[in-house]
Order: sequence, then C-alpha cells, then structure tokens
Amino acid sequence: MNSVEDIIKSASQLPPFPAVIHRALSLINNPNSSRREVVETLQYDQAITTNVLKVCNSAYYGLRNPIGSLEDAVLFLGFNQLFEIILCGATGSTLEKAVPGYDLAAGELWKHSVSSALLTDIVSKRLKKDQSPLLFTAALIHDIGKVMLNSYVKEQFQAIKKLVQIKGISFLAAEKDVLGIDHAELSSLVIEQWNFPREIIQAIRYHHTPLLATSDQEIVYQIYLCNLIAMLTGIGGGVDGLSYTGFDKIMNYYNLEEKDIERFMAQLGDELEKVELMFQVH
Amino acid sequence: MEISQDQQVGLITYSLGSCIGVTIYDPIIRVGGLLHYMLPESQIDPLKAQKNPFMFADTGIPLLFKEAYRFGAAKNRLIVKIAGGSQIMDDSGFFNIGKRNYNALRKILWKNNVMIKAEDVGGQVSRTVRLDVGSGKVWVRYSGEEEKEL
Repeated sequence: MNSVEDIIKSASQLPPFPAVIHRALSLINNPNSSRREVVETLQYDQAITTNVLKVCNSAYYGLRNPIGSLEDAVLFLGFNQLFEIILCGATGSTLEKAVPGYDLAAGELWKHSVSSALLTDIVSKRLKKDQSPLLFTAALIHDIGKVMLNSYVKEQFQAIKKLVQIKGISFLAAEKDVLGIDHAELSSLVIEQWNFPREIIQAIRYHHTPLLATSDQEIVYQIYLCNLIAMLTGIGGGVDGLSYTGFDKIMNYYNLEEKDIERFMAQLGDELEKVELMFQVH
Repeated sequence: MEISQDQQVGLITYSLGSCIGVTIYDPIIRVGGLLHYMLPESQIDPLKAQKNPFMFADTGIPLLFKEAYRFGAAKNRLIVKIAGGSQIMDDSGFFNIGKRNYNALRKILWKNNVMIKAEDVGGQVSRTVRLDVGSGKVWVRYSGEEEKEL
C-alpha cells in the first residue's frame, strides 16, 4: 500500500513547466503587450515555433500561401488562439498517452482535455462573459492528476469500485478514501508546483466539488460545467464513468436550463471535428 | 451510424456516457446496424440535425432503420438491442440527458411498434457496444471490466 506522501513525491518528479509559456501567458493577458514582445518571447523556442507554424498551415485553415514566420503567425492567429496552440503543444505529450489505470487508451484523455477547453469558449459565450485564457488553460490541464494517479488507481481499482458501488459515493470520494488523495487534489498540487496563477489552481482543485471553493467561484463553476459536459458527451469516459455529482446550484447560479446542457453538447460535437483537423488528434 | 452485411465485421462504438448505442439485426439476411446518438431531440439545434442527423434520437433512429431496409432487412425481423444512457449523480434532473435519451428512444420505437429485445441502460458507467454481424450477438463492456453478451 502506498502512502499519500509517496504519491505526491512521485508527482513532484515531473519535469518543470516551460517558463516561456508562463511568460507568454502573462504577456497575452496584458492588454498593453505588443505583437513584437510576444514574438521575441517565443522565437527562440524551436519546438513552439515549429508547432505554431504547423497548425497555421494545417488543413483546418486551408491557406493558399503558407505562413513562414512566427510574426506572421501571431498576426494571423491573434493572441488567444496563439496561446491555445502553444499550450496544447506543451501539454499534449503528457496528456496524449494512454492512462490504463482509468482504462483510457492513448489520445482519450487528450480528447477529453481539449473538449473541456473548447467548451470554455462555448459556455462563456452563452453566459455572455469574455473568455479568459485562464479558463482555457485550467480546462486543458484539469485532469493531469489522473496521469500521476494512474498506477495507484490501477492497483486499487477493485477497492475503489467496491466503494462506489456499495456506498454509492462518487469516484472522486472513493479515490480519496482508498488512496488518501483524489485526482483533482493531485492535479492542483502539480499545477501549484508549476507556478500557475491562483485562479487556475482553484478551478482545478474543485473541478468536481465546486461548492467547496472559497475563492474564484466564477472560474471554478465554469470549469466544473465544462468538464461535466465533456463527461456526459462520453468523451474520454473511463473507469470512473459518470460517477460524479451534479450540482443544481451551479445551474441556478447562471440561470441555465436542461436544454442549455444539450445545446452545449451539440456545439461541442461540431467543434471537435474542427480540432481534429487542427491538431490531428486521434 | 453504420450498416453492414459483411459477416466478418464487428460494428463498435466506444465510450458511451449519456449517449445511447442502438443495434439492429436481421437474422435472416444477416444485416446489422449501429447508431450512436448523443441527444434526444433535433429541435434543440435544427441546423446541426440537418448536417448530422445521427446526433439526435428523433432524426437518427428512423435513418438507421431506413438504411437497414435498403439492405433488404424486414422490420418484423429486426432485433433491437440498446445500451448506454448513463447518468451522473444528480437529483435535480438538470443533467439527466441519459434518461431523456432513453425516453426519446422508447417513444419512437413504441410509436412504430418496435420492441426492444435487450437493454443495458442507466447507471454511472461508461460503455462500449459491439455488434458481431456474423452472429448477430451484441456485446457490452463497462470500462474497466470484461465484455458481456447482451
């Protein structure tokens, strides 16, 4: 049996999050930043430059004249989309792998993550709020703890399943009971280590238990909804299935109805097709 | 949506959450069909329904049957089995798309005098459904568990 300390220790051995992306995020979040500054920050990172150009020139945009420089790419994409592409590039390698402990084949967790991130835009529009890049970021990496908890869940799956079935508790609560820590908590610890802004840490920590958040409720509630809609749609459904709690308080908070959830799901279906063209996800 | 008469083929759909997988099979001419729909009613988004009718029960299910008839299947021989329609833990009903998906299907089949031969619906699990066109057997697998015949 592994202790919580062992789990946290193994999660802390992750490579650090690229500093260049943090710099890009703060520049993009600042309305006074210039295109020049953003290009200067990113241009020395070959992997980022290559990835951004590859996406610009993908079938999704169908450009007649390919884009050849980072500067043109920034002009073409705009800050928000540029940032989304960079972030997907940086997290894809971790999130794209199979997560057998949760019975997720290669690419399934990635698809779930990208779907949740796309939903932030869909949901923000419905709520008539500006989509902050923080929302996209939080949604994209909210389940990173599953990657770290993978082998422990695999080992203890029967015990976790039994708790879910017999006690009727959520998969999250059963993880906590059996392993001493759940994937949302572990995700937030990893993100904290990577020096992400507080709002993102909160959103990730409470993405299944939004009513427990003591600050940043807006981002927490929206990430909760986005993740839930992606789960209902069955994108990246694993051993945990839909064993999580639905909170009507969040729906009431935003004056949302049942039909809104259905509309979000329908919109997501469309968006996903586009993304597959963009990133060639599986 | 897929229809096949190829006896070597297994029609399969993965990771059904609140979505529903409908399989139909004519044992005489050995034609099988599988539909994976996401939502109960197309009126929620008529434009999307035009582009992708298989997203909704009310537009997808009739097309599944029609397509099987084109292959020579007969309505009175079709064996219908369904799986999916999971729910999150929710008392308020805001999120119970699974139940609404199931009710929509029941209504459509009932109106058309079609019986459901077997079903595995509800709960909180994620399901994979497979129809073996050669034998007509339908298999359901809960994520993390062994496949079982439906």
